[in-house]
Amino acid sequence: MAMRIPELKSQYIWAILLAIFTVAIIHPIEIPIPMSKATLDVYNMIENLPEGSIVAVGGAYVFAFDLESSASMIACLKQMARNHLRVVFVPLSVEAVQMHKYCIDMARVDEKYGGPWKYGRDYVQLPYMPGMDAALVAFLTDVHSAVATDVYGTPLDELPLMRDLHSYKDISLWICIHWAFPMIVRYVTSERGIPSVYFAQAAAYASYAPYMAMYPGKVFMTLGFLGGAQYEKLVGIKGLGYAAMNAYSFLVIAFVIFVILGNITMLTRLGEEEE
Amino acid sequence: MISTDPWIWLSALLTICSYSLLYGDNPLFRIGVYTYAGTVIGHSVVTGYFTLKSRFLPLFTGQKPILIIPLILGIMSLFVAWRKYAWVASFPIAVMIGVGTGISMRALMMTDIIGNVKAVISEAALIFTPPLTDQIGYLIKVIFTPIAVFYLLFTVFVRSPASKPAEYLRTIGKYIFLIYFGLSVGSAIMQLSGLAVSSLYRLIKLWLGL
Repeated sequence: MAMRIPELKSQYIWAILLAIFTVAIIHPIEIPIPMSKATLDVYNMIENLPEGSIVAVGGAYVFAFDLESSASMIACLKQMARNHLRVVFVPLSVEAVQMHKYCIDMARVDEKYGGPWKYGRDYVQLPYMPGMDAALVAFLTDVHSAVATDVYGTPLDELPLMRDLHSYKDISLWICIHWAFPMIVRYVTSERGIPSVYFAQAAAYASYAPYMAMYPGKVFMTLGFLGGAQYEKLVGIKGLGYAAMNAYSFLVIAFVIFVILGNITMLTRLGEEEE
Repeated sequence: MISTDPWIWLSALLTICSYSLLYGDNPLFRIGVYTYAGTVIGHSVVTGYFTLKSRFLPLFTGQKPILIIPLILGIMSLFVAWRKYAWVASFPIAVMIGVGTGISMRALMMTDIIGNVKAVISEAALIFTPPLTDQIGYLIKVIFTPIAVFYLLFTVFVRSPASKPAEYLRTIGKYIFLIYFGLSVGSAIMQLSGLAVSSLYRLIKLWLGL
């Protein structure tokens, strides 16, 4: 009689996966992160922006789904702060405000964390702007008509950075960390010629990758946590992207083991049924 | 070192509450879910209120009297909740759809349709440019894109002498879509595992400080 494999409860499988994730985060196995040209292109483009250039970071979607982009965004914020670029955060959905705040805090670029950036001078967080496409077009056309204050209620004219930003002509680059990237490509890159970068979520990458072919040298994308890990490597930090890639490596082994066990169980049962 | 920030403790507690679902439905999970739902709705309402307040301030100060139009349209849209007068809401909805379509139509055509066609045509030439891996990639893209479009355009087609080859193309198109959906599901699983990693990362690094 064939050996019977005991049935695994789903709780045990979750416990195993949880243990794998935890071990990978606490004790990373120092996996090599191969560099991709796409990530390198984004890094080099930002490196080549003149000091003081204004970069807009914005878009719309849900915090939980956008979180994957934070790995690249945090590393990129560190790079932009180091290069003395100026950043304006443009949230077009309610939860984008928190997403931007989360990235700024995690990047530790503000002077309150010992970073080089000062609020109002080097970066500004705008409030939620309702209207999606219409709001974006209005913002690009005339910033000060589209929005009157920053997220804390300070009039824009009192913020030194905002005195230099009047329309899309003052923006050197648009970075999107949200699923609503097509909106950015359509109005920012296609209509106004501003280069755009999308720190894409893995699930969105395949759908939006054709934009890179449509606008070569204008649209750039990185791929999920792998892109994040690559960006962290370029900036010289080990953050969420690196931890995620370590966890993935362990996880893939666990998935293969579960697939093999599942198939053996199925084949054994088929044999028993035939007997 | 373990965090002393009460917000990080709260975040950790809610994360653990959410993960407790993996053991089965339980009161801790419900606390987490209700807290999350309540917070999101509360936040949206507060954000909406302050957005409205700041947006319409220039109307009341007399700086932008034209804002009376969106204010009236906004009030009209609330009639959607009143069945007898729900038709009133159709006017602001029509304006919204009209403006949205007007703004997006040109950009959408230029980017997603004309841009895509241009990209496929320009990539056809790259099939002959090494390295081999890129050549294969471009070849797949240039062949797969028109066949997938063909499948969508000719979902319903009239019987004719060309039916047989068209049927073959449609079948290939169907498989191309299945490959794409498979890739999307795989990527979505990667993303969900990534979200789990990021929440555990916060627990381990920010809360426990390990």
